[in-house]
Amino acid sequence: MHHVLVVGAGTMGSVHARSFARMENVKLAGIVDIRANIVGPLAESLQTQAFASYEEAMAALERVDIVDICLPTDLHKTYVLKAAAAGKHVICEKPLAGNLADAQEMIDFCRERNVKLFVGHVLRFFPEYVQAKRLVDSGAIGEVAMVNTFRGGIFPTAWKDWYADVKISGGLILDMIIHDFDFLRWCFGEVERVYAKSMIGRTFARMEYALVSLRFANGVIAHIEGSWAHQGFSMKFELAGKKGVIDYDSRAASPVVSTLRKQEAGQGGVAVPESPLRESPYFLELQHFLAAIERETEPLVTPEDAYKAMEIALAALKSIETGKPVSLAHSAGKGGDC
Amino acid sequence: MKVGIISFAHMHAHSYAQAIQELEGVELAGIYDDDPERGQKAAARYQTTFYSSYQELLASEIDAVIVTSENASHREHVVACAAAGKHVLCEKPLATTAEDAEAMIQACREHQVILQTAFPVRYNTAILRAKAYMEEGKLGRIIAMKGTNRGKNPGGWFVDPQKSGGGAVIDHTVHVVDIMRWFLGAEVAEVYAEVGYQLASEIPIDDCGLITMEFNNGVFATLDCSWSRNQSYPTWGDVTLEIVGTDGTLKIDAFAQKLDVYSNDSGHIYAYWGDDMDQQLVHDFLDSVRKNEQPKITGEDGLRALEVALAAYQSARELEPVRIEKSQA
Repeated sequence: MHHVLVVGAGTMGSVHARSFARMENVKLAGIVDIRANIVGPLAESLQTQAFASYEEAMAALERVDIVDICLPTDLHKTYVLKAAAAGKHVICEKPLAGNLADAQEMIDFCRERNVKLFVGHVLRFFPEYVQAKRLVDSGAIGEVAMVNTFRGGIFPTAWKDWYADVKISGGLILDMIIHDFDFLRWCFGEVERVYAKSMIGRTFARMEYALVSLRFANGVIAHIEGSWAHQGFSMKFELAGKKGVIDYDSRAASPVVSTLRKQEAGQGGVAVPESPLRESPYFLELQHFLAAIERETEPLVTPEDAYKAMEIALAALKSIETGKPVSLAHSAGKGGDC
Repeated sequence: MKVGIISFAHMHAHSYAQAIQELEGVELAGIYDDDPERGQKAAARYQTTFYSSYQELLASEIDAVIVTSENASHREHVVACAAAGKHVLCEKPLATTAEDAEAMIQACREHQVILQTAFPVRYNTAILRAKAYMEEGKLGRIIAMKGTNRGKNPGGWFVDPQKSGGGAVIDHTVHVVDIMRWFLGAEVAEVYAEVGYQLASEIPIDDCGLITMEFNNGVFATLDCSWSRNQSYPTWGDVTLEIVGTDGTLKIDAFAQKLDVYSNDSGHIYAYWGDDMDQQLVHDFLDSVRKNEQPKITGEDGLRALEVALAAYQSARELEPVRIEKSQA
């Protein structure tokens, strides 16, 4: 039985807590959040304890094996280091950190303390992405040359509006399309060159939009579009190879779409697409991490993968700042696993 | 009005010929082609005269010429048309070098004939609707644009750089760059490009391109100009634009008006039922000729779009963004 403490009861923290609560081999030991009004009801509904701080939880709980950190990015390092120092295995939401030095320190410290570090690059557990990779690997569309991806929707709203502060969240490049960077690196290997443009510094409007150009060492050209300027979340990818094309649009692949008649309150009228699965990708991801602990196996997402994805995202941010392409050719060997 | 066509090398010659046939008071008076077999076949199909030299065609009583020869031959043909006093509609890209394009523009100006670049997408009804929507100002200030003009590798002379000037980048950059310039009323100031040679195994030609642009009004944009549709893809390709403004977004899929057809003979194909933009292009060109006024799309427009494609090749060679130095025209 794994005793898990979830730190952070925001969007991802609640998804993780709900997933753990359903696992037979997990005891959800507690959920931490400084917002009592949010963590209280969540903990109650999942029949676990709410805590106002990590320290309070660790002092009160008899046993914790795994600490799952679902906090704003700038708080990741502090709590990863604390959990590792206490000898707990760590699950950390992506991006691992806001800069590479912090990421390296976290990776090194977890290795030193002999605890596992898992990073939530959950796209590797989304069945549509897994299926696409399987098809590419099987040669279904031949050698891939050109890739287009999209991810986005409305500007995210969260505690203290932390997504709006690029210094804290890294904006949509470090926070959101890092998913696509990781997925594409999983499929096509290392990235050689990054060039990017974004809205950063161009407008004061509460929105963000980025267009990133990646060149992989194997020649693949990828275009990653990220948006916090659209309405309603969606994700897309198109992989074009010598023999064929794989096309995915989450809106087109939603088998259930509900549209309610306009209510007096002004709600409704909007189509809500759903893609129901027996187990959510988040559930599968967390189960996989637990299995990696139980069986002492290498997880599908290594700390090095998380580091490399950050490297691509930070290169894109640098390119936006300098207006120049950023080469990643000499970065091999960094990261390492724990 | 009498119109001639120089060369059926480019497949668009057929849709232009059909457009001429459908117009009242316009006659397709002659065809020249350096491939006599292809030219005679076209002349028979459109019931017109085949000329074995373009000089002969230009000496005949025609008012205007549509040039649909290989890209590298545009200069020779357009300059000859200008010298003969014939108005010209020239297939895109206008030329394979900025120098050629400038010479063509200069020759037409000197002989006071119209030079229109064939950018039919400007006449696509969805594109026109989108432009009108943008002009209403509902999107606020435009921040960014993302375009695609993907297609299938056309093969033939298109993959012979001596005749085409290049592959997907020169073939598919110019349409959407022209639309972006037109929508924004701004010029491309800087170009960065990743260009790939990966899809066609037999002939080494650029078939993948991702171009990032900075406009001189602060808008940034990208364009996927790849020949990345495989042979069994349900349609020839696409023209799409995603436009992001401070007050909203606009999504354009210029050829979305189609039926999905599933056939045992041809698999899954799209049957397009939207308006015919090629017909509108020819119609508008001939209208400018008739009224003897400036065409809506000029030779300079063709040159500006060409410059972006040429800068994309340069950027891919140098691995650096390239500033656009406007050529004189």
